[in-house]
Amino acid sequence: MGFEKFLFYVFALITLWAAGMVITRRNPVHAVLFLVLAFVSSAALWVLIEAEFLGIVLVLVYVGAVMVLFLFVVMMLDVDLAALRAGFIRALPLGLLVAGVMAVEIFLIVGPANFGLEAFPPPDAAPADATNTRDLGILLYSIYIYPVEIAAVILLVAIVAAIRLTLRRRPDNKSVDPARQVRVKKGPDRIRLVKMAPEVEEPFGASPTTESGETS
Amino acid sequence: MLDNYLPILIFILVGILVGVGPLALGYLLGPRRPDAEKDSPYECGFEAFETARLKFDVRFYLVAILFIVFDLEIAFLFPWAIVLDELGIFAFWAMVVFLGILVVGFIYEWKKGALEWE
Amino acid sequence: MTELWNALPLVIQILLKITAILLPLLGLVAYYTYAERKVIGYIQIRIGPNRVGWRGLLQPIADAVKLMMKEIVIPTKADKTLFLLAPMIAIAPAMAAWAVFPFDEELVLADINAGLLYILALTSLGVYGVIIAGWASNSRYALLGAMRSAAQIVAYEIAMGFALVGVLVAAGSLNLGAIVAAQQGSLLTWFWLPLLPLFGVYLISGVAETNRAPFDVAEGESEIVAGFHVEYSGMGFAVFFLAEYANMILIAALTSLMFLGGWLSPLPQAWVGDLWLLGDGFHWLLLKTFFFMFVFLWLRATFPRYRYDQIMRLGWKVFIPITIVWILVVALAVVYRLPPWWSA
Repeated sequence: MGFEKFLFYVFALITLWAAGMVITRRNPVHAVLFLVLAFVSSAALWVLIEAEFLGIVLVLVYVGAVMVLFLFVVMMLDVDLAALRAGFIRALPLGLLVAGVMAVEIFLIVGPANFGLEAFPPPDAAPADATNTRDLGILLYSIYIYPVEIAAVILLVAIVAAIRLTLRRRPDNKSVDPARQVRVKKGPDRIRLVKMAPEVEEPFGASPTTESGETS
Repeated sequence: MLDNYLPILIFILVGILVGVGPLALGYLLGPRRPDAEKDSPYECGFEAFETARLKFDVRFYLVAILFIVFDLEIAFLFPWAIVLDELGIFAFWAMVVFLGILVVGFIYEWKKGALEWE
Repeated sequence: MTELWNALPLVIQILLKITAILLPLLGLVAYYTYAERKVIGYIQIRIGPNRVGWRGLLQPIADAVKLMMKEIVIPTKADKTLFLLAPMIAIAPAMAAWAVFPFDEELVLADINAGLLYILALTSLGVYGVIIAGWASNSRYALLGAMRSAAQIVAYEIAMGFALVGVLVAAGSLNLGAIVAAQQGSLLTWFWLPLLPLFGVYLISGVAETNRAPFDVAEGESEIVAGFHVEYSGMGFAVFFLAEYANMILIAALTSLMFLGGWLSPLPQAWVGDLWLLGDGFHWLLLKTFFFMFVFLWLRATFPRYRYDQIMRLGWKVFIPITIVWILVVALAVVYRLPPWWSA
């Protein structure tokens, strides 16, 4: 247990430190990369409580996909940082208030009263061949099948919304459609190679018999 | 189970070292002669006019968002693939419905031209 | 001997095992670059490198020494930290993925149950090295290359993920060793046959994920000079290079594991037993991996570079529909226990 506890504190510290850096860094790209670090170390924390599927999926989905989108956005938008910071002091009291209320709320729900060590004693270590992907699958695709299908509908809404919001046609674009490019009919659309005798302008004095007859 | 993850943790650390090692070696062994021309960004012989951090077409964001949706779908498919053998035809039809809903989205993307790269 | 081994602290044991995996791997990477130049040379009726050592065999070492002696130029206005961090981010996942790779029935460092998921998660991190390098360099070519590459990797990662789901459905386990065990039998029971479309999709997506020709628009020498690593010199460049080749070897090895039965012998056990090298063993895995490594070089020597819109079209409009359909086909075959692969 000693070493696991040590690892827990290491990863917990990394997570907290990275999360702190996310909100204090001035450069948005650095902030996003610290957020990536925070996600990776919280994935490690999940693996420490033997939730291997969730831990790895956290890396796969959040780090591998969501943060890539974040990076795209912060890299390509010029955010005027000076303008953003201008109202900082003025908004500070309100911000502190909201943060304080949220902290209290979180404490009330996930605080020691409901989620303390007494309520949830550490589970026995799973055997080496335990696979919680399977357990999860059994639950998801039998009891919780309805929420799973709802998740599909939510994803569908996300697809439609993303397209409605971002898709626009560029009028100045000169692209060709590869599907139409490769769709040629055998007859008139193709280059036809024709075999024919060479038509050579006879050089003066050459004998006509050696020039004709052979095609290659 | 955690016993199996210790080698992975160490392996990731060693993997990072494999990146650090050569860079450190190159830093130690290589010369360092800074020069304004040499250190300027490559621009085919021109002077670099302005910052290279250009704005990009919104299409890149769209691709990234669609990627997230499909990645999530894959995350749902993994546990399903494992238990299909046990749950049998019920799980199969559950996934047909799930994928069917998403295929509607995929067809929408296709018809709207979101997958067109012009 | 075993007593001495058991007496070592666990961490030292693990480190020794990791060294035993990484050293041959790095050697293989070095000689893969040599093999690439030789193979493409012979395909184009040239000789390839033949000056350093017998038939140029010392060429990779000479290259390494030369790169080490070169200056690591850091462009002005580049983000220095991220600029140096990018190569490390590129290579670390390419190395760490080998932690769960089984080399033989018992020969695996970390036998985790979520092995395949772990590998997919690590592959999805590869895109960071490219994006960070492109952005940190503060060069237009680098940024263009990074954006192209990111959108491309992202598109093919989905196809790759779906292909892996097909393998999972067929094998019923995320454990790489169990996936090989599920293919037990002979050449015809390996997954390449029932999963033929997914096999093709996986292999081609692997080429696209590693940014190799004919999908190498991220580098595109003739358009954007060298893409995301245009500003990298000396060892900075070398580390990117190492990562690319290590990833190619990883894809080749994974393809042989998941579709060609890994260390299984192509002949049924009943015919050969343990006759010479015809039985199952690590050498079969090596042979299959070498074959796919050769395919990577062959593709590069044969095909012209794809156009970017064609790449995106192939990834989204061809591969994703194929994989979705085939996953359901395989799922039906599994549910109804279609022989010979899934007989009860």
